[in-house]
Amino acid sequence: MQMLTQEKLSLEAGAQHLTHLLRSQATGVGLPPSLRDHWLKWVDRADLSTLFTAQHLKEDWKYTPMEFLRHPWELGTLTASSPSFPPEGELPLIQPVESFEDLPALHSLPTPSSPWEALLGASTTYQHYQIREAGQLLLTSSNETGVLPHFVSISIAPHSQAEIWLAPHTGGFLLLRLHIHVGEGASARLYYTTDLPTRNGYLYGILSAEVEKEGQLESYDLTISAPWKRTEFKVRLTGPGASVHLHGASRIAPGEVVDQAIRIEHAAPHTESNQLFKSLVYAEGRSAFQGRIYVHREGQKTNAYQSHKALLWEPSAVAYSRPQLEIFADDVRCTHGVTTGFLQGEMLLYLRSRGIPEETARHMLAGAFLAEVVEKIPHERLRAGLYARMGFSS
Amino acid sequence: MLSIRNLHASVEGRPILKGLTLEVKAGEVHAIMGPNGAGKSTLAAVLAGKEGYEVTEGEILFEGQNLLDLEPEERSHAGLFLAFQYPVEIPGVSMIQFLRAALNAHRAAQGAEPLDTAELMALLKEKAALLKLDPSFLSRSVNEGFSGGERKRAEIFQMAVLDPKLVILDETDSGLDIDALKIVSDAVNALRAPKRAFIIITHYHRILQYIRPDVVHILADGRVVHSGGPELALQLEEKGYEPFLTPA
Ligand SMILES: Nc1ncnc2c1ncn2[C@@H]1O[C@H](COP(=O)(O)OP(=O)(O)O)[C@@H](O)[C@H]1O
Ligand SMILES: [Mg+2]
Repeated sequence: MQMLTQEKLSLEAGAQHLTHLLRSQATGVGLPPSLRDHWLKWVDRADLSTLFTAQHLKEDWKYTPMEFLRHPWELGTLTASSPSFPPEGELPLIQPVESFEDLPALHSLPTPSSPWEALLGASTTYQHYQIREAGQLLLTSSNETGVLPHFVSISIAPHSQAEIWLAPHTGGFLLLRLHIHVGEGASARLYYTTDLPTRNGYLYGILSAEVEKEGQLESYDLTISAPWKRTEFKVRLTGPGASVHLHGASRIAPGEVVDQAIRIEHAAPHTESNQLFKSLVYAEGRSAFQGRIYVHREGQKTNAYQSHKALLWEPSAVAYSRPQLEIFADDVRCTHGVTTGFLQGEMLLYLRSRGIPEETARHMLAGAFLAEVVEKIPHERLRAGLYARMGFSS
Repeated sequence: MLSIRNLHASVEGRPILKGLTLEVKAGEVHAIMGPNGAGKSTLAAVLAGKEGYEVTEGEILFEGQNLLDLEPEERSHAGLFLAFQYPVEIPGVSMIQFLRAALNAHRAAQGAEPLDTAELMALLKEKAALLKLDPSFLSRSVNEGFSGGERKRAEIFQMAVLDPKLVILDETDSGLDIDALKIVSDAVNALRAPKRAFIIITHYHRILQYIRPDVVHILADGRVVHSGGPELALQLEEKGYEPFLTPA
């Protein structure tokens, strides 16, 4: 591993080093001039050292190994990966736009809630997409080495339909900032697939979305393999009838880390959110899940549901689940559930008692655990491909 | 076919079976009746090879082999089939996927090639019809959301598919309405054969009117305390267990 050949920094020194590196790259050139100064101010103030001092940041990163900060990163370059699951179907493939002054996505960027988000808001490499009527787009941001901050915005025009395939790849540290604006009555589907069977590679995605009146967002965060993956997903439902459905299926291979931090804001009446996440954790693997549902005073008649289930394959596998509800409206329905456990001996005996060898039976049960989420993927080829890449038969 | 001698078994250090002896020959149907907590399901669990059931004394021979030396899957390959009292739900594993894996494992154990999909489906549909199960049930997850009756019928369906030598039905009749009981009994009777044996664990005389046993045993406090012909079931129905609880 490349890292071992270089001297390691202390966590604090690494945080400072990375702060300076990201700041030096934050030119804001990919932002509309009207927003540029505003964002560069956030960049100036951002300091990753606060990860160790600010209480809320410490909480946020409590279960996430931060060894990557000890690496004296240099800047990487953006390349394109060849994804395991290329998009297919009827929708036309959309290319990035050149003119970005009026893109709704950029004007709806949320206020940064972490130094990472601030540093990335005025990052160095940009891509902006705009979808009118119908389209799909493929994001294959990739960097072989070094740290790479990458910013993507997607604006989906009212009553349009979008499919987004996010398939990044990294052998270094990829910091991906993706913001989606779902216009009134529009619908967007996001497939975020991670297939990184390498020993190194840190993938950090800060995703956010704003969903307007009667807009719909649906996402599938699918991990086949990732040495270290953290995904923050912040969704704001800003108009009546807006809805978001987040799904996650993570196969966390031995020693890997998958960390998910979700925040859903219900900022308008009659909105709906649904989170269904499952993590299959093998030996020495780690799943961290934080799911926050925040219902504003305006969020009357909110319907919110959240579930995270972790299946620990070995005693050395670890899962942390932290559901959080903050509700400031009185007429809402919020439910959440968390379960963590080992394979049920009853199920295993049942299969074995019918003649299925133990190893096969265990394997079937592992696949079955993730199937609850995978079966919800509306794309058949992706579903079948995913089972195949994970080594499960459907 | 099955010979259990002086079987003692404990769960969590607590003795449950206390010297159980039972001899079942090919072609026979045995009924085991007994009060709740007598150890009937424990016997079934020990035969299936469930973890946590410790045999402290005695032996079980199945067709001359020491059953306790075999893994649960090997017991199945050897021809043992237990219809569970409480079949577990397995969300995410379809009946087809499950039975394909089971059948092919059986075939592999006999050195046979796996079935192709057409052969598999033909077999499954034929046996489903025998149990009057709608073919759509094959696409459902194993036991998930099945009604009590469907679950029991699904157990007998699996039995029909796997074609075992020795079948143990653990209270398969409990919770079945009369129509379902008839379907299940018909399927069992259809499979009665000189080479096959059945052990029917039950509380009620009712199922034994449909599946006529050769021998009826009363199991109490971890032992067979009384054995007799089919008329014993009727006597139990009339008099209860009490008169039989002193060893014969
Ligand atoms: N897994 C188990 N853990 C603890 N006790 C058990 C377990 N299985 C059975 N027992 C106990 O063993 C005794 C016999 O139970 P069981 O074999 O289920 O009886 P039956 O099927 O005859 O009603 C009961 O006292 C029961 O509580
Ligand atoms: Mg019982």
